[in-house]
Amino acid sequence: MTRGVQDVDWVLVSPVVVLVAALLAVLLVDAAVPGRRRLLDGVGLAGVLLAGGAVAWGAAVRDLPAATLCAGAGAGCSYVVSGLTVALQGVTLVAALVVLLLALDGPGARARVEHHALLLAAVAGAVALAAARDLASLVIALETASLPVVALIALRRDARGAEAALKLLLVAVASLGVLLLGVAFVYAGAGTLHLAGLSLLDPDGARRALLLLGLALVVAGAAFKLSAMPFGWWTPDVYAGSPPPVAAFLSTVSKAAATAFVVVVLVVGAPLLVADWTTLVAVLALTTMTVGNLVALRQRVAVRLLAWSTVAQAGWVLLPLAGAGAGLPAAARASVGYLLAYAVASLAAFVVVVLVARHHVDGERHLLEAHRGLVRREPVAAVALAFALANLAGLPPGVMGLVAKVVALGPVVDARSWLVAVLAAANVALGLAYYLRWGALLLARDDAGQAPRVPRLTWDVTPAEGLALGVSAGGCVVLSVLPALVAAPFGGLLG
Amino acid sequence: MSGLLVAVVALPLGAALVLLLLGRRLPDRAAAAGATVVAAITLELAVWAVLEARPWDGAAPGLRVDVPWIPGLGARLHLGLDGVSAPLVVLTALLGLLVCAYTVVVVPRPGRAPALLACLLAVVGGAVATFLALDLLVFFVAFETVLVPMWFVVAVWGDDADVAARRDAAYRFILFTALGSTVMLLGILLVAVRAGTTDLVELASSRGAGLDAGTQVAAAALLLTGLAVKVPAWPLHTWLPPAHTIAPTVGSVLLAGVLLKMGSYGIVRVAVPVVPDGVARLAPGLAAVGVVGILWGGLACLVERDLKRLVAFSSVSHMGFVLVGIASGTQQGLQGALFANIAHGVISSLLFLVVGGIKDRHHSADLARVGSGLRDRAPRLGWLLALGAVAGFGLPGLAGFWGELLAVWGAWAGRDALGAGAPWVAALAALGAALAAAYVLRVLRRVWHGPPAGGPAVPDASATEVAVTAPLVALVVGLGLMPWLLLSLTAPAAAALLGAGR
Repeated sequence: MTRGVQDVDWVLVSPVVVLVAALLAVLLVDAAVPGRRRLLDGVGLAGVLLAGGAVAWGAAVRDLPAATLCAGAGAGCSYVVSGLTVALQGVTLVAALVVLLLALDGPGARARVEHHALLLAAVAGAVALAAARDLASLVIALETASLPVVALIALRRDARGAEAALKLLLVAVASLGVLLLGVAFVYAGAGTLHLAGLSLLDPDGARRALLLLGLALVVAGAAFKLSAMPFGWWTPDVYAGSPPPVAAFLSTVSKAAATAFVVVVLVVGAPLLVADWTTLVAVLALTTMTVGNLVALRQRVAVRLLAWSTVAQAGWVLLPLAGAGAGLPAAARASVGYLLAYAVASLAAFVVVVLVARHHVDGERHLLEAHRGLVRREPVAAVALAFALANLAGLPPGVMGLVAKVVALGPVVDARSWLVAVLAAANVALGLAYYLRWGALLLARDDAGQAPRVPRLTWDVTPAEGLALGVSAGGCVVLSVLPALVAAPFGGLLG
Repeated sequence: MSGLLVAVVALPLGAALVLLLLGRRLPDRAAAAGATVVAAITLELAVWAVLEARPWDGAAPGLRVDVPWIPGLGARLHLGLDGVSAPLVVLTALLGLLVCAYTVVVVPRPGRAPALLACLLAVVGGAVATFLALDLLVFFVAFETVLVPMWFVVAVWGDDADVAARRDAAYRFILFTALGSTVMLLGILLVAVRAGTTDLVELASSRGAGLDAGTQVAAAALLLTGLAVKVPAWPLHTWLPPAHTIAPTVGSVLLAGVLLKMGSYGIVRVAVPVVPDGVARLAPGLAAVGVVGILWGGLACLVERDLKRLVAFSSVSHMGFVLVGIASGTQQGLQGALFANIAHGVISSLLFLVVGGIKDRHHSADLARVGSGLRDRAPRLGWLLALGAVAGFGLPGLAGFWGELLAVWGAWAGRDALGAGAPWVAALAALGAALAAAYVLRVLRRVWHGPPAGGPAVPDASATEVAVTAPLVALVVGLGLMPWLLLSLTAPAAAALLGAGR
């Protein structure tokens, strides 16, 4: 290997390449044949689907974990595809597909080229992030995954969109600052940015403190994007100001990217310091789920309730890492498994909320009350939403969500962190209260005498919206019957 | 024949789904008739399954289904029918049939019967699955299945005199029980990660081998605490009286006859054989909680004015006997607990049907509002109430007697588990039985006895009410006169649970 030129295994990096190629194709198509909206939609969707194919291809033809973009002399590789990578990329791409379908007739219709290009860029960042194994690549990928979303929100071109975009931009800048500071500390303490090198370190004294401080700052930076408390206060405002499909993107693709970041940095990068960071993660997870659930109890606007519920769920995604002391792969698996279940259920809920917003006089600001008796007007959508909420609450018939809760609590129990486990158990009950309230509204009958807030027309659901609902709700059903994927989203080594 | 087990779970759940999807396209009467037919078939399948499984022959489950489900967690869809589950499965299916049949005539909220029936059938299906589950995770999933439907039964079809009280009762029910089951889940997970399996047969046969003492105590504490909410054991019982007061009659019947049993069954199935040493360490505490529950429930009944709350508090008291029996760690005690479990299910279902009928007639279940002389005003209803009430205080010759007698006897003999406190437990539990006589006689004196109260005449028990209560009356008398029918059914399994075959 000559110095400065790295070997590239194009099979492994093909998912990222496909997404970037699709991004370029969107721009080229618009330049060459302007105004062909079906073609643009097709290119965008094809990009996401082909990237999914590329992930499967890489997993099939290479022995995982497989590495590429390696620095010389065993310093480590920047791009590693392991079971963890494949699982995270899978979640990301499924979520991206549903969000794109949902956006085709919403924010995507107003500025098709910009929307598709930005979305593909963000997805490319998230997909690259799952494979990145040095801190520089990780930070760049995380920013690639999150900055385009600012522009996606701003595509609304109104005051609320501008406010939300500005808020998210400030958060992004602040978190980037924290993140880079953390990376600098880690580099100072470890002398390497490659996780392979970092993972071998178990220093004492001042170097250890420096390393831990760096890791804490890095995790805090990612906690902004994950909407973990106390860094996630922006979440409800930004969700409420975004076009709902973009909020769905934030709550699934962005969250998957941030989860990937935290899991990779802590589990792959700092396995020997596990005893030190589990406490940090436990505090973060419990604060997040408790604050999210408590505030969600008081919400009346559907999108805001969903926003706070995703905050609470972010706590659950982090929770297994608090039990990583009993086994790193099991904790990572549980975290990703929970993320999968959460993403699928959250998408189904978002699809229905988007549909209600599109057909309700109050639009995105509609209150939960707008869902009263939805089952009489739109039985399919109402049943899908009720099922998604059952999954988010983790109660049968939402077996997927229940298994996810079981999976997430497993490592914590294994590590005997009883305080954490009991507080998390209490949060299950807290979460139930608002999911049930919402579910009951769907099935309630309209109060006599009150004029229905939604005109009694059946919705004209476009094919893309129908497909989005079908994929997400179908995912809930399939994973509820066969929750094996939630329990073990990947096997083998972490890499 | 193992398909019977799948059918007896899938049939009510499938029917619930169909009813939910058909929704309001179905008239109330047709939905209730359809549900009754489904419930009848379920009962038939349950009885058939018990006859096939022959639990009186041996402890091993006579029928089994075992297929892989979640390899990542090692969970398998493992169902089986043995002597502990058989009576409960049949009781659940029977009560399911009775509540569906009752709904043919009495619809709490006209126009919405299909959804109510769907919820009732879902509760029945989930409960049967709980009683059949031989895998910890399947048990947990089934255990949780009844929550949402039951919440809807209370929250939607509950007493609508006071909307805030109804909401409060419904949320209290689900928050308490969901918190309890999540705590139980922590115990299940602890067992699963330490023992490396979730299979209850395997766990029961190894009798806690491989689980160190600390793990056993921790797991037992988590399992018992979580399940105690469902039983409900004092002081975690506070969700029960409001839920019973608000729930419609059919909901109260399933709540008392089915849901509470899931808690006590869980203790017997998931805690006692899996972490025997841990349960043994905590047995004195469990017995104490049981005794306090017996006395607390009895004292509350002495002053309670609302008939439904009164039956609810008496449930707390009766389930206390079940806990005492289990805690005694003796064969008699456990047999008594299993017997008292079934007896309470039968008696309290009967009482809730009668009291629900009384409440519907008087628009109140307040002792003062109902007034005296029911035996003259509505003789059939009055006699049903009297029978349920005297069975409740354990009149010899009726179902309530044997279970509590055996439980107290077990406690007396349970020096191994309870130490020097055993005679005290037995004595205080016996005192609770005397309290029960006092409060039952108080109720009978206020309502059943005496000159007919003024006010509008109330209709006597209808043919439906008589028909629906008849099987329960038969069981109350039958189990009282021939207790060995049930005792021989549970004996081999109870012996195996205590490790007699070691």
